[in-house]
Amino acid sequence: MAVKVVTDSASDIPAELAEGLGISVVPCTVFFGAEAFKDGVEITKEEFFNRLTTGNIMPTTTQPSVGDFLDVYRPLAEAGHDIVSVHVSGKLSGTVNSARLAAGELPDTTVEIVDTELASMGAALAAKAAADAVSGGADAAGAAEAARNAAANTEVYFVPETLEYLKRGGRIGGAQALLGSLLSMKPILALVDGEVHPQEKVRTKAKAVQRMRNIGAEKAPYREAAVIHRVSDEEAEAMAEHLAQFTANPVIRAPVGASVGAHTGPGVIGFALWKGE
Amino acid sequence: MNEHASSAFDAQDFRQLIFAGAGCLEANVDAINALNVFPVPDGDTGINMLLTLRAATSAEAPDAASATVGSMSSAIARGALLGARGNSGVIFSQFMKGLAGGLAECERADGAAFATALQAAADAGYEAVGNPVEGTMLSVMRAAAEAVHPPDGTADAPEVLRAAYEAAERALAYTPEQLPVLKQAGVVDAGGQGVVAFLAGMVNFVSEEQIVLRITPPEGGLESAAANVSHEFLEHTEEEMYGYCTQFVVQGEGLDPDAVRERVMTMAASTVVVGDDRVVRVHAHAEDPGPLLSMGAALGALDQINIQNMDLQHQEFMSLHGYGEDAPEQAKATELAVIPVAPGDGIARVFLSLGAAATVSGGQTMNPSAADIIAAVQKTNAAFTIVLPNNKNIVLAAEQAAEFSDTPVAVVPSRNVAQGMAAMLAFNPDLDGEENAEAMRGALDSVRSGEITTAVRSTTIDGVDVEEGQAIAILDGGLAAAAASPNDALTAMLDAAELDGGALVTLFYGAGLAGETAEEAAAAIGARPGGIEVEVHEGGQPHYHYLVSIE
Repeated sequence: MAVKVVTDSASDIPAELAEGLGISVVPCTVFFGAEAFKDGVEITKEEFFNRLTTGNIMPTTTQPSVGDFLDVYRPLAEAGHDIVSVHVSGKLSGTVNSARLAAGELPDTTVEIVDTELASMGAALAAKAAADAVSGGADAAGAAEAARNAAANTEVYFVPETLEYLKRGGRIGGAQALLGSLLSMKPILALVDGEVHPQEKVRTKAKAVQRMRNIGAEKAPYREAAVIHRVSDEEAEAMAEHLAQFTANPVIRAPVGASVGAHTGPGVIGFALWKGE
Repeated sequence: MNEHASSAFDAQDFRQLIFAGAGCLEANVDAINALNVFPVPDGDTGINMLLTLRAATSAEAPDAASATVGSMSSAIARGALLGARGNSGVIFSQFMKGLAGGLAECERADGAAFATALQAAADAGYEAVGNPVEGTMLSVMRAAAEAVHPPDGTADAPEVLRAAYEAAERALAYTPEQLPVLKQAGVVDAGGQGVVAFLAGMVNFVSEEQIVLRITPPEGGLESAAANVSHEFLEHTEEEMYGYCTQFVVQGEGLDPDAVRERVMTMAASTVVVGDDRVVRVHAHAEDPGPLLSMGAALGALDQINIQNMDLQHQEFMSLHGYGEDAPEQAKATELAVIPVAPGDGIARVFLSLGAAATVSGGQTMNPSAADIIAAVQKTNAAFTIVLPNNKNIVLAAEQAAEFSDTPVAVVPSRNVAQGMAAMLAFNPDLDGEENAEAMRGALDSVRSGEITTAVRSTTIDGVDVEEGQAIAILDGGLAAAAASPNDALTAMLDAAELDGGALVTLFYGAGLAGETAEEAAAAIGARPGGIEVEVHEGGQPHYHYLVSIE
């Protein structure tokens, strides 16, 4: 008997990182019209963005069903494990509700559910914290506590190419106020209290990237950092190398998947920073 | 009018004295406007000073029986402060404030009191501006003060005023030696000329020996400045709200604006008459507009006739400002508001789209007064207000408004629309007022500003030869290019700007320019090497073909 960590595909956790840490990923579902795909299972990140940029159907997403959660939880429960389930903000997705309902189906298993109030690699770094705690001998409650601590100290910033996807997907939050702008802009957004919130308004991509680098320096030092992106490898690598100056651990490169990508669109660049020494 | 010559002035005399100074300024207002040296249509120095004096003299006077020179001068100064427009008007209002401070304890004012007060006025002017520049109205006022300071106790008030005037006239003649830009344009300083005219009017009121002002306009300057400016002026000058506001233009030959003015003044109030021998603009408030129009028609062809019933306007105004029964509610109280000054409807729309609570209309040649800004602040009803003047000539009026407002107001001193937009983008409703003001100030220098307008006279500035009527480009406040068309001037300016790769150029095209012309300019900018981004908006501003933000 052990403790196992679960997250969802809106964490954008790279498959090899999840495997290495023993983290299971419950897929969200993305729809192109009537066609449904389990994120990361039935459609890869690359296939999703190819279809997004070449097709004319706007994708939509739904949280994993209770059944999707049970498909992951039940084998772990049957093997006698406790579960720490670390997820995307409840204000952005109903994922934590599905997780709770699924946990209710398993009365004999301890399931600790953590709402990170973050998304993408913000949630993934919290899941990593839980996995690290488990490696260090923590029980489920201790690992959940580690995930909550990490989440509380993690900040997520991102710059979408356009606000169109956040608007259509209903996740625009406090950036709603920017939609009326007659001037084009590349706003820097952050996750604040579980929702999308505008941080700074700049006019060009080049300035936005420069400001992001400055924010990266202002938030230093950090225990972990991850670049979240759907931009060229060169751009992602440049940001990762910049962040690497401020953390002792390797910076994670996390291409955005379907669950998050449906709301940010292509061309997004961002990062998650788990602050601390 | 020399019955006061040997006695000290009482409160009513003092008020008449200020009226006389204002009258002399008014008689010379178009000539003073024409002295504006930069070849852009901002010939509004005389107008701004006159509007400021108008506000001063129309301020509610203290009770006649108990008024002292101190209380009268303080009422006049307060009127000037609230009504001040433009930098020249604001500095002039500071002179009035200093004068009032110097006379505060006086029941009557004699020569020594005037000498002391003139010194206080000059000091107040210098204190009002961050970086005093010599060769301006400041130098002229200081020369006037120093000529009569320290007071010797034997000179009476008329002698003190005349000595001050004579020193001011000498200092004015010296301004081209202090400011190279004046010398290049072959003019004396317009604001300094305004001070001289004001002093001359006062001297003429108290002495028999009358001063005749001779203001030498630059070549071709008078006509264009009068034509450009008067309309804006007329729209701003409606303080006496009764009868019919009657405005029209007379076109003819051999017209005499001075003679027209004298006749109009016998027929109506709030008279403003400006123009030259071919075009005269008339603005007046009359119980009956008929005789005014008949007089105009006898002189030449009438044009641009505009008659409004001010009794009705007055009721609407009172209702709008909460005095009537059906007054609309004041805006719901908010924590924090940003109020930019916008020179055109399109620019106002962009500011509102970025989260501005309201805008104040105004810009070059139509500077809003401190009172206009305070009115917008009150209407917005926020606990803390940030004002973006968006024009270097409105910064001081905004600061004046901040000083007088009942609620806290921070001025983020944007000198042009481009800076105003950059500051607006830095606004974050999650932060408090002071934090925002600081962040917005920090954003001002993140953009460069360009302006394309038409030269109103031929001259050479910053090494560029300019022909009257050419399109000229001003980059970051300096003349960058002159060309045949606005688009050519824009191209030349962007060449001079040496844009970085990935730069963003935002064009706000003016009321006088076709949208297609602006789109053509944008296409040409987009085709420049280096991946320049471009964005076009209808700005709707007068006088400027383009206002340009570069970042």
